[in-house]
Amino acid sequence: MSAATLAVEVLVWVVVITCLLCCLGLVAMKDFFERLHYMATVSTVATMALLAAVVIEQGWGQAAIKMSLIVVVLLLMNAVLTHATARAARVRDLGHWQPAEGEKIAGLEQIGGGGHKDK
Amino acid sequence: MNVWLMGSAVLLFALVLCGISCFRGDAMERLVGLEMAGIIVTLLLVMLAEGMGRVNFYDLALALALLSFGGGLVFARFLERWL
Repeated sequence: MSAATLAVEVLVWVVVITCLLCCLGLVAMKDFFERLHYMATVSTVATMALLAAVVIEQGWGQAAIKMSLIVVVLLLMNAVLTHATARAARVRDLGHWQPAEGEKIAGLEQIGGGGHKDK
Repeated sequence: MNVWLMGSAVLLFALVLCGISCFRGDAMERLVGLEMAGIIVTLLLVMLAEGMGRVNFYDLALALALLSFGGGLVFARFLERWL
């Protein structure tokens, strides 16, 4: 077994194990906002490992370029989608997504003004 | 059967876990399961394409990544105010 083959096998199993662990976390976590974090690991670690595996297997050809596009889409998608989903959950609960009056935010002083309530 | 196909077969269990997540909790918690399933299936399609030696099948994964992004945004927007 050559070093390249071994590297591809290791990277593929890294992808599989990362996805399985993150999905287990998705099922195990009780809080909605905790669940959201598990998408980040899959769309960064797993996609990067898969890109590396494809590049080692095929070289910089058509497959690697398409895989690079997929990685870019997944990275951008995860950031936007996580924000949109978290914001939607907050609006669904509170009616607005800005800090409520008196709400403490980690790293910030207590916010006195409160958010606007318009929909 | 090469390592890509074996990996994609094992990755199906991750989809089962996403399915379990989609059957529990309220609508927003189910949406997270759906979004995760979109990412997992994208990676699964890439692994299947590589395992079968069909570079053209990468387009399916790219299309799914783009469409699951749009779908997730639309679901989030609708669940935010209307559903």
